[in-house]
Amino acid sequence: MNLSSIPAQETNPEVRPFDLMHVPVVGDLFRWRYARPVLQAPLLVLSIIMILHGLFGPTLAPKNLATTLSWLHFRGILVLVLLCAGNFFCLACPFMLVRQAARRFFKPRFNWPRTLRNKWISVGLFVLILFTYELFDLWSSPWWTAWLIVGYFLSVLVVDGFFKHASFCKFVCPIGQFNFVASTLSPFEVKVREQDVCTRCHTKDCIRGRREPVSDLVTIRGCELALFQPSKVGNMDCTFCLDCVHACPHDNIGILSRLPGSELMTDPIRSGIGYFSRRKDLAALAIVFTFGALLNAFGMVSPVYAVETWLGRILHVNHEAPVLGVIFTFFLIAEPVLLLGLAAWLTRAWSGSQRALLPLAIRYTYGIVPLGFGMWLAHYCFHFLTGLYTVIPVTQNTIASLGRPFLGEPRWSLTGLPANIVQVIEIGFLVLGLAGSLVVTYGLAEDDSPDKPLRAFLPWAAVCLILWCASMWLMFQPMEMRATMMMSG
Amino acid sequence: MLLASCSRRAESPVPVEIEHEVSPAPARVGPVTITFKLADSNGKLITGAHIAIEADMSHAGMSPVFAEAKEEAAGRYKAHLEFQMAGDWVILLHVTLPGGKKLEQQIDVRDVRPN
Repeated sequence: MNLSSIPAQETNPEVRPFDLMHVPVVGDLFRWRYARPVLQAPLLVLSIIMILHGLFGPTLAPKNLATTLSWLHFRGILVLVLLCAGNFFCLACPFMLVRQAARRFFKPRFNWPRTLRNKWISVGLFVLILFTYELFDLWSSPWWTAWLIVGYFLSVLVVDGFFKHASFCKFVCPIGQFNFVASTLSPFEVKVREQDVCTRCHTKDCIRGRREPVSDLVTIRGCELALFQPSKVGNMDCTFCLDCVHACPHDNIGILSRLPGSELMTDPIRSGIGYFSRRKDLAALAIVFTFGALLNAFGMVSPVYAVETWLGRILHVNHEAPVLGVIFTFFLIAEPVLLLGLAAWLTRAWSGSQRALLPLAIRYTYGIVPLGFGMWLAHYCFHFLTGLYTVIPVTQNTIASLGRPFLGEPRWSLTGLPANIVQVIEIGFLVLGLAGSLVVTYGLAEDDSPDKPLRAFLPWAAVCLILWCASMWLMFQPMEMRATMMMSG
Repeated sequence: MLLASCSRRAESPVPVEIEHEVSPAPARVGPVTITFKLADSNGKLITGAHIAIEADMSHAGMSPVFAEAKEEAAGRYKAHLEFQMAGDWVILLHVTLPGGKKLEQQIDVRDVRPN
């Protein structure tokens, strides 16, 4: 990367975005160099408690902190924070605290292989997690949930033990990829305040790291994910680690407000990423994110069992894995190829776009991300809000089981918000997702075919409506959580 | 009418055998009746036991359902529960035997059907 060539970005001096760094206390905390470990430490302690309780606590999921906190509270809070603020989970990621501690003893020696500098591994792992979630019913198993967390810690240590920078975050972590995609719809972004300051800057500490004048040793790290702040666009690949904030000698990087989803409507070259429209791997990630949201919700409603039984009969199999394989292939490959391919073909035919079919499909694929996020929000918030207070009796029970019931006897009657109220919130998220997708796809259509934006937009609006109707249908299906899917008959 | 959804002998740490039946069979969302037969290792029915019941779903986030079983006939106990959601349920029996001895038993009620 040529650090001296900073592209000029449009700035309107009259419209100053809100800067979270200027909020008292919050801004002071984020400016503090040790903000990240301080935020990571409580989550690390919580992770350890979850692992111990998952391995040695009650085997029943509703009574175990590993399952309750992982599948209800963590997921719900994660998507709500992404919606309302940004990728602050990655900022407080406990895995990175362990990695950082380990790197005091083991310095990684290798660069991440060039051929693997893409999202294909993480897309595969994202699918694998969705698959194992259904196959092994992770939500009902504290033991498996605990091992999943342990596996995460080990993977981080192995990958970042061998490879420099934040290789795990950028190229491996499935949770991170989920956060990166969802945070394209967040209202905040880590961004330079004044481009002019960057143009005049010669040290580029935000990416190179702040260094000792003589020894050239890095004292404050620059961006480990290769995002050069002046030409960084949006939240993709940004872990909100604030390294750039601390490294910038001009205090020129803030956490600025922006229009959620606006980064999906444009296609500039992005530092550390390139063009969205040329990234097949990123488009695949967006597809898994969106269609995976429907698939994951499909796995918890009654019709899935009828489909599985029917497929098992056709395939003459009794094991769940091949049946799930067929369902996953349909949801994550056949359906997207059909829907997005047809929409791209129609857009090309109607609007006269000169783009080839695949680049056109890739470009518009990012338009369905808001729909996917709406579905994740609806699904995760259903579990989170209907089981909001369950963490209280589970914690009481855990402490009581240690022989010191100072929180009192477990109040098992505490659950959460009534399902009928939560359903209204779910519908709100789905409507928000549809509106976001329509706005983004129309923005892309206007940019792509200024003369005939409506013709370019209509096929994608149809795709959005189909997916939205499918989401609404799923939300109104009776929920059914079984630990055994393949039933006879 | 009582339909036997399953009837099996359960293992427990004290020499007590518990047989159970769930009605209707297969179990559906809504009210269900569970009957138990308690017997010692010689097959002699145990009377005067106290059975507290807790039913949980197999996933987190749902409130458990509590009930107490009443002795309908010598050694035979009956409880009424309400399954609020389709899926897999786990019933925990907290049994206090006439002598004060306590035991716990877990019964899996899989595949509760939606209405």
